[in-house]
Amino acid sequence: MLQQVTATLLLVGFPNAGKSTFFNLLTGGNRKVSNYSGITVDMGKADIKSDKDGDIRLKLVDLPGIYNLVPSSLDEGVTVKALLNLEGKDGAQKVLLLLDWQRVEASMSLALAVKDIVGAENIAIIINKDDLGEIDPTRRAELEKKIGARVLPISALNASSKTVEAFIRSLDLSSQVETVKKLQITKEAHEFLPAGDHSAKIEVIEDTKQITDLINWYHMKARDVLGSLSRPNDAKALLTQKIDRFVLNPWLGGIIFAAIFYFIFDAIYTWAGPAMDLSESVIVTVGELIGNYLPEGHFKSLIVDGIFGGVGGVVVFLPQIMALFFLLSLLEQSGYIARAAVVTDRIMGVFGLNGKAFLPYMSGFACAIPGIMATRTIPNPRERYATLMTIPLITCSARLPVYILLIGTFVPATTVFGIFNAQALSFFFLYFLGSFAALIIAKLLRLSYFKGETGNFIIDLPLYQRPSLKTAFKQSWKKGKTFLTKAGTIILGLSILIWILSTFPSPNPELLEGKSPEEQAGISLQQSMLGTMGRTIEPVIKPIGMDWKIGVGMLVAFGARELFVSAIGTIYSLGDVDEESSSLREKLLAETWADTGKPVYTLATAWSILIFFVFSLQCTSTLAILRRETGGWKIPIIMFSYMGLLAYGGAFVAYRLLS
Amino acid sequence: MTLNEINVGQTVLLDDFSQSQPVYFKLISLGLLPGDPIIVMGKAPFGGPISIKHGSETFFALRRSEALQIHVKNYASKI
Repeated sequence: MLQQVTATLLLVGFPNAGKSTFFNLLTGGNRKVSNYSGITVDMGKADIKSDKDGDIRLKLVDLPGIYNLVPSSLDEGVTVKALLNLEGKDGAQKVLLLLDWQRVEASMSLALAVKDIVGAENIAIIINKDDLGEIDPTRRAELEKKIGARVLPISALNASSKTVEAFIRSLDLSSQVETVKKLQITKEAHEFLPAGDHSAKIEVIEDTKQITDLINWYHMKARDVLGSLSRPNDAKALLTQKIDRFVLNPWLGGIIFAAIFYFIFDAIYTWAGPAMDLSESVIVTVGELIGNYLPEGHFKSLIVDGIFGGVGGVVVFLPQIMALFFLLSLLEQSGYIARAAVVTDRIMGVFGLNGKAFLPYMSGFACAIPGIMATRTIPNPRERYATLMTIPLITCSARLPVYILLIGTFVPATTVFGIFNAQALSFFFLYFLGSFAALIIAKLLRLSYFKGETGNFIIDLPLYQRPSLKTAFKQSWKKGKTFLTKAGTIILGLSILIWILSTFPSPNPELLEGKSPEEQAGISLQQSMLGTMGRTIEPVIKPIGMDWKIGVGMLVAFGARELFVSAIGTIYSLGDVDEESSSLREKLLAETWADTGKPVYTLATAWSILIFFVFSLQCTSTLAILRRETGGWKIPIIMFSYMGLLAYGGAFVAYRLLS
Repeated sequence: MTLNEINVGQTVLLDDFSQSQPVYFKLISLGLLPGDPIIVMGKAPFGGPISIKHGSETFFALRRSEALQIHVKNYASKI
């Protein structure tokens, strides 16, 4: 049998040309796609899906979008580095240039520039977004002749991967891509490439004008190549113009912006609420059923209190997580996000940030990690750091379970100001508070440590498109799966650990003599390792209205925020001997202080916990990614400390104000 | 004339990119060349960004501080 040969294909193109959609189509991958620039900031590699028949193995490399070969931010540097194979590893066999038919002229200039650097024989051109099939065989042949490379028109959203794969396999993939000409870039652009001597492949030009002229020249050439080719259908542009008249309207714009985001929070409550009640009752019922079949003892307690009480308490939030990502994906695909950046730019400017910072912040609503990665698109390092250091203040989806649990239990679902739901409004407030704090801190950083000019803000406004429900479902399904995986691994493991810590050591039997079962459960909990830990920290957390059980939950949540819910779930299940309160919400309402008998959870305590969660950096994965992106522990430590202080201070104020 | 002086709905031509300012670099990256017509689509309130359309396909927005650096001329003065 022949040894299998591998061919690597680099995917290069304009931002928002649909490279990741194309990548997902061919590899069956699930890279995040949306309709605005700068979603892909790192390299993604995968084998092409139908790699079975033993011919050449195809590897596709998805790269961040670039406008030209002169990088102006870190993510663009990643692409240029890969294209020139600056690291000198196994190179690629072909460069696939993905052009955007909606912006064919501008993206063609990039293709021509790449062609000159690596040679016409090393490139192939795919023109994406030809949704109406405007590039017929005659035009295609004409383009191929003019460019001197193969051309395939597609529409990545509804193309068949077979056609594309057949096209790729028909290319000559035998030789490695070599640079045939030195790439000329500016000194500043060189900064965005990895350190080292690249003089064999790159020529640094002192005169910026010369570089600008070169890019200009490629655009002229692109116009020449496209010549009489009919331009894309104007209907989409006209629709975009019409929608923008409202969305970017000086007065309506802000209202539309606020309405869209309020709608998302409201939807999480009103739509996902019933689904959550359902999943909660399923989990409670299954837990009880299993409990009935198990003999009394530690094993039953581990299953019922440790696993169903802990993991189950987190899993019930699956509908909300999926609803959030579903709606965010629809919004991102529509093309609105870039407009939101325009609408909010004035505010961002006041806080010393680039309008571009809006996009990483936006990702932060899902999770801080992609948000932090997305700051790579901000060219100015000072602005980038000011943004990066405040992203974890943006309310991420891991805070959702805590917010929903506490708001759902302690804020009544009444209507306020005529049209707003008090729960959704509280939710909106917490999101607002986090975002506002992020901007204030960013401003402080910009006034002190990261002082300097605000970089330029020119943002692409993509044409609007109808969001694909399929993509939104996929995105939401992917996030749901990640969430369940986390629940089944980390949260499960830690729930068991918490159960062990809160069950052992068993108390001295003498202590339990003559006590009611309820008192016995309370004493056991207090005498356990967790109880000892909790009582040690109680003096610190009592001023913010928390008892030692909540304190333990808070402590555990420094691993990951959802753990708060699972930890208190386990602790309260253990204390609840008659299993009267089935759901975690009921258990919270039933919890009383040991000394006074008053309820532990008042509105003040609930808000104290909520405010604590708004501010504190309780996520080990975020700390790890921060260390990687900033190259050391200094920034993560500073962030952890300032956010911790804000959290404690904020919780203290909230508790004092409300009690 | 600079771009920030232009009213919404007006079409103007980009003047020569004589100075090698970063903003021109960015414009050229987007495919806007000297002499190209552009139309001002909107202006955000309180001195917010200006949105621009170029050709039939490129929409973008930029801050007024950037628009101040972009020289334009009347569409008619082309002749």
